Amino acid sequence: MPADAQDSSESTAAAYAARLLRSLGLIPSPTLYAPREHPAMAWAASGLMELTGLSDGPPQMCPVPLAACADGALAALASLAPEGSFDGLSGARLLGERAAIMDLHRAGAVSPGGACRLYRAGDGWIALNLARDEDRQVLPAWLQLEDALAPDALPQMIAARRSHELVEQGRLLGLAVAADDAPGPKPKGWFALGVEGKPRQSSKRRALRVVDLSSLWAGPLCSHLLQRLGAEVIKVESPARPDGARAGHPGFFDLLNAGKKCVAVDPRDESGRRQLRALIAGADIVIEGSRPRGLRQLGIDAEVLVRDTPGLTWIAISGHGRGEPQENWVAYGDDAGVAAGLSHLMYRATGHHLICGDAIADPLAGLHAALAAWVSHINGGGRLLSLALSGVVAHCIAFDLPGSEGALRERQQQWTALAHESGVSKPRTRPPSGHASALGADTSAVLAGLGIAC
Amino acid sequence: MAVALKAGAKLKSAVCDTQLMVVKAPAGEYDIRCGGVDMLAGTATAPEGAQLDPAQAGGTLIGKRYVDAEEKVELLCTKGGKGSVVLNGVAMEIKQAKQLPSSD
Repeated sequence: MPADAQDSSESTAAAYAARLLRSLGLIPSPTLYAPREHPAMAWAASGLMELTGLSDGPPQMCPVPLAACADGALAALASLAPEGSFDGLSGARLLGERAAIMDLHRAGAVSPGGACRLYRAGDGWIALNLARDEDRQVLPAWLQLEDALAPDALPQMIAARRSHELVEQGRLLGLAVAADDAPGPKPKGWFALGVEGKPRQSSKRRALRVVDLSSLWAGPLCSHLLQRLGAEVIKVESPARPDGARAGHPGFFDLLNAGKKCVAVDPRDESGRRQLRALIAGADIVIEGSRPRGLRQLGIDAEVLVRDTPGLTWIAISGHGRGEPQENWVAYGDDAGVAAGLSHLMYRATGHHLICGDAIADPLAGLHAALAAWVSHINGGGRLLSLALSGVVAHCIAFDLPGSEGALRERQQQWTALAHESGVSKPRTRPPSGHASALGADTSAVLAGLGIAC
Repeated sequence: MAVALKAGAKLKSAVCDTQLMVVKAPAGEYDIRCGGVDMLAGTATAPEGAQLDPAQAGGTLIGKRYVDAEEKVELLCTKGGKGSVVLNGVAMEIKQAKQLPSSD
């Protein structure tokens, strides 16, 4: 148990929930309910144990309580929500839902989804996530090759180069690349407070309105959880660059996006930018996962908008946090976990180079982001809160990291035995609540409802 | 001055803050200018008295990819500046942003 969990009967999930609430300036409710499962059993039940390990080897324990942290984040949110809002939902099991829907499996140093992989560089290991086919076109520039790259020559080329040069050059080129290093010093927190604006002025009674500009998993999960709190979620996409997850598994897209109003606005023309600004002006909470310079180039400056719009909560989800230079670095869920030190820990605990879970930083960040958004909103809003995929995982790791190699290995053995006693579950998913709307299906209705000219 | 553009090589403007990285370019010699003046490779320094040509001051944006008409040459802007990028006498254009991945 972590040092600050004084009550030895308190579960890890409850202790983590209390930690999150205190970091937001709140006093945890004495009636806070969190799952009491041992963290090893939470990992085994989440489906992530089944998803971690060599494809021809046993499922692997994670020596830090990530599934219990997911339970804790949801418990913290539930403790501030109307009773029953999250009935039937388990934080830990949210982590395995995509793998359950897509029938993904553990693949050792390769992510279950197949895009991210650990490679041996000349002086250490790195993760490279080639999530887009187009990323392959920049590989010659990344490796500074004269000629095209033969498809199977990548491991050999990486092995001949130094890891920090690969990471630096890759980040310049917009590749999702990370050093497979040990967890860094204990992070100060799991979110960063940017500018503070004014709180809401009036107490108009209307439904909480969320404008969600994000894509893939973390941001859409955040707004999906806010839907359970009664929010009307307007999912805003560009017709030229819709949420890429529309082209992925439809069941997973439905799970996260059913019930959201889908609006398409084209930020390349002035009327589209005006509509986008008007949508933001009518929002209580904005969620986005864009690089700040991308939004600024569209004339959308989060800092200015939060300062000028009383009551607005702005949730910025990035790979590695705001500020130069890291706000320009691309990251996805698997490589962000590696950047936080997860694969290094797995190696020390198991002797194998492994990706841990399925895009694990995405659902963890989505859960934490929903808590940050809700707490800011119920306290009047007027804040820009930034969460980094890698920073959230680093915070979960640091919550209860064994202090020595001996303690790490001992825990790995004990927790593995506990998991096998309780049974290792396959990833499971809830059924979607319906079909997600088509791109832009609700554009005219939503714009008309808000009095925005089309 | 004609130079070879090697994938991964860095170029900087002699007259503004612009920095570019070569994403791809067929083998050959190129005349590449920013702000009207030859761009510098590696650690080269600007010639004395070089000045931004006001007619070549369209500016570059960090993160954008600049391509020639056939998209054979692609340069990534790693630092924005005031000059326009001109390849073999023709202004380079901004490439459409990459599509988002379907999953990560």
